[in-house]
Amino acid sequence: MTDFTYPPKDPELAGEPIHATGYGGFMGPIHRQQRPDGVRFAVRIAPHHLNGIDRMHGGMTMSLASLVMGEVARAEAASRSPAARAKTLSFNCDFVSAGELGDVVTRATRSVLFLSGTFKAGPRILMTASGIYGIETLTGEEGGVS
Amino acid sequence: MSGRKTYPSPVSREAPEGFTQAELRDPFEAHVGPLFERETDDGSRVAAFYVDERHLNEHGELHEGMLMTFADAYLGSAAHRVTEGKSCVTLSLQASVTGTARAGDLVTCRTWVDRKTRAIVFISGSFTVGEETVMTATSLWKVLGER
Repeated sequence: MTDFTYPPKDPELAGEPIHATGYGGFMGPIHRQQRPDGVRFAVRIAPHHLNGIDRMHGGMTMSLASLVMGEVARAEAASRSPAARAKTLSFNCDFVSAGELGDVVTRATRSVLFLSGTFKAGPRILMTASGIYGIETLTGEEGGVS
Repeated sequence: MSGRKTYPSPVSREAPEGFTQAELRDPFEAHVGPLFERETDDGSRVAAFYVDERHLNEHGELHEGMLMTFADAYLGSAAHRVTEGKSCVTLSLQASVTGTARAGDLVTCRTWVDRKTRAIVFISGSFTVGEETVMTATSLWKVLGER
């Protein structure tokens, strides 16, 4: 039985969701916000994002990180060649503090393909993460970072 | 722990042969579930889930974020069991993404306790679809209340 709906965009967050369907849509919405100092991504922690002790689930935090960093890697791959895609090779994260219901978790983007991110709720750091992304072209080359 | 509330998943699937559906006490695990478990002859636990459209990226492949969630759930469960039921929180997780999966695939997870100290537990895990390894992970867990 399939009985679920994808969440709509958050009316109180600026910007548009990066995914409407699939994993990014289902655990989001994650909004992309264009700001004077760069692109920012934001998601509001809802009850279904929590663990059994009412903190943001670690899997949710890591999912958010992999979705946002994947989006940055995808955009970078597309800027090199329309046929290229970015493929996750490695993903690492360290948890600093716990997110709570109603927090808005954000990340400001930086650097290229060796991506790193700091995820915050207000001024408080929740997690730092880094990922390595390979660029894959239609000719089947993998992991080439030119 | 056993008295805590459990949460339903928005999708229902029959358990794979030999597995039973996990009782999920974390709302986010229920949100992406159902998840399944079975005990092996040596007492270790194998976990599994079926990939469906909620778990896919824009290329129709399993998003590694779902694997991270699955890893957090079952590497954490291994930490919880080896500390005889103490609460453990994720300090760090490192993953190598070696493959992917499609809708309908059954992803399974096996875990190992690499080292246990009073306050910190090291757990690693392997994630497979059939014979193919799709992700390997290592992790550190803090045992709450221990210094």
